[in-house]
Amino acid sequence: MFEQLDSRSPTPLYDQIAARIRVAVAAGDLTEGDALPSVRRLAGQLRVNPATVVQAYRSLETDGFVEMKQGAGTFINSVTDDRRDAERESAARHLVQHMLVEAKRLGLSRGTIVGAVKREIGEA
Amino acid sequence: MDHAIQTKALRYRAGKEFEIRDLALKVPVGSVYGFLGPNGSGKTTTIRLLLGQLRPRAGSISVLGYDVPDQTTQMLAHTGYVPERPHLYPSLTVNEAMQLHAAFFKNWDWSRAEELVTQFGLRRDQRIGRLSKGETGKAMMLLALAQTPSLLILDEPTDGLDPVARRDVLSALVEYVSGGDAAVFISSHLVHELERVCDWVGVLDRGRLISELPMETFKNGLKRLRVGSAPAHLDDPPFAVLAREGDGVSAYELWLVRGWQDPMHQYLASIGADLREVIDLDLEEGFVELLRTARTA
Amino acid sequence: MFKEILRTEWNWSRYAVVVTVVAAFALPLVAIQPTGMESQSLYDTTAIMNVMRRYSPWFGGLAMLLGLVFATTTWGADHRGHHVYALTLPVPRWQYVVMRYSAGLLLLCAPLAAMWFGCLVASAAAQIPTGLQAYPYALSLRFALATVLAFSVFFAISAGTTRTAAYVLTVLLVVGLGQVGINVFGLDRNVIGWILDSLVVWPGPLEIFTGEWMLIDV
Repeated sequence: MFEQLDSRSPTPLYDQIAARIRVAVAAGDLTEGDALPSVRRLAGQLRVNPATVVQAYRSLETDGFVEMKQGAGTFINSVTDDRRDAERESAARHLVQHMLVEAKRLGLSRGTIVGAVKREIGEA
Repeated sequence: MDHAIQTKALRYRAGKEFEIRDLALKVPVGSVYGFLGPNGSGKTTTIRLLLGQLRPRAGSISVLGYDVPDQTTQMLAHTGYVPERPHLYPSLTVNEAMQLHAAFFKNWDWSRAEELVTQFGLRRDQRIGRLSKGETGKAMMLLALAQTPSLLILDEPTDGLDPVARRDVLSALVEYVSGGDAAVFISSHLVHELERVCDWVGVLDRGRLISELPMETFKNGLKRLRVGSAPAHLDDPPFAVLAREGDGVSAYELWLVRGWQDPMHQYLASIGADLREVIDLDLEEGFVELLRTARTA
Repeated sequence: MFKEILRTEWNWSRYAVVVTVVAAFALPLVAIQPTGMESQSLYDTTAIMNVMRRYSPWFGGLAMLLGLVFATTTWGADHRGHHVYALTLPVPRWQYVVMRYSAGLLLLCAPLAAMWFGCLVASAAAQIPTGLQAYPYALSLRFALATVLAFSVFFAISAGTTRTAAYVLTVLLVVGLGQVGINVFGLDRNVIGWILDSLVVWPGPLEIFTGEWMLIDV
């Protein structure tokens, strides 16, 4: 789940970690009551500063995805279907944003992009 | 104690090449501080000064609140050290080395030591001298961590280790740091590795500290812009342009800028320039650029 | 702490201990071998004394060798690692040095005791004619003092950095060359002789090594 975190990416590491957890929740891989690895363990596994993991977990807590219980760990909150759908939509939009940034870099016009998407979807 | 390590106006002549001058290190408590610098910049000499092995010509050193070198012994009781070259007695076995170390460090934690032996896959009856390079690195880290130090000073701890050993050592280090408010001072030229683990960066070049910043600030400080149709001269830009060069392929230029913020794209639009891309520099590139500008200044 | 220092001392010195125990025990026995008397009526006091004198330098030499060997095994590992490990232990340097010294002395007791036993056994086994006496205690005590002195000197040289040891050896070399130079210029001054004399003749500190080591004497 946490392979290939990119320290070069403009997205801060804590954000990348939190995003992967959100995606896992959206996909149903993580469900209510599941425990996330301890800060210590995850930081050691990913070889990142523990403060980064804490930041990721806190941002998830702020968004209501998890609850950090003092002394017990961090647990996934109940996720409604609405929430899951909203998360999926957010993931899709991030994907598109990424694509648009790349497209701009390559100097492709909106029309070209939309055309390409339509063609690809048509073939799928 | 406000800082785990603090030096003031430190001065030492290391050799004919350069001297360490006006060194003002500040390593915050609980931070993981990456001490970067090219080879020969004085990193190891600085570490030896911090450990009380060398006496400075001028200035003061405070480590864990102790004056160094006057209170070196008390300081060492709480400091774990992993040097660049193996320093353990080669004819002792891993077990004997642990027993020796445990006898001297009152905060030695046998359960942590046992855990690390298993985690690192070391055989207790193996002689230190017969261990591979990776195993030796792990053994040194094991001893330093099992001491339960308040400060870890690591001099190129993963240099020359195979990737697996490197991961094991870094993982154990990060796990230890998660446990409390121990500070870590890592000197390394392996910038990529430090990027994820350190939250502070200090850059040494030829004996002078040319930068000391939180990691995020250091990384975000420099960016590359891919810009087109920009005038040769900029009137009062809101950021500092450190370099401008052609990208070698198209009519676009690559600019190296400091102090960039997103709203500044409006400025570029106002001067008729086409901002194609904002590229983040990773720590290595930031480090290289910093050295380059520091040396030409 | 001292227990662990002693343990490492043993780890580094155990072969030396075994070998020197054998050598120290054997030397007095070897020294009395030629005195094996076939005929009881042919006591040759002078012959015995000559044999003792012949073996005399071996005792002094062995004492010096013991000192050198144990100083080397005590500091060898630290030297190889440039003292880095010891310098990062949270004990004052002098305390560490004293612990190492004590550990070395403690292990030295083994060959010193072996010498003592060897002298006792040799004294008992030898047929000593009237007019002569065995001095096992005096000899082994002298041996012990000489060994401790040698160990202390070599230990002190090795305790410093390899650089310090090099300095000391350089000084000795300079003195030696100086003497040669002086002689070349025809000056009749015996610097080395004078230095040695002041060290070696009472009240010089190295006096203990010179003179005769006689297990059996008048």
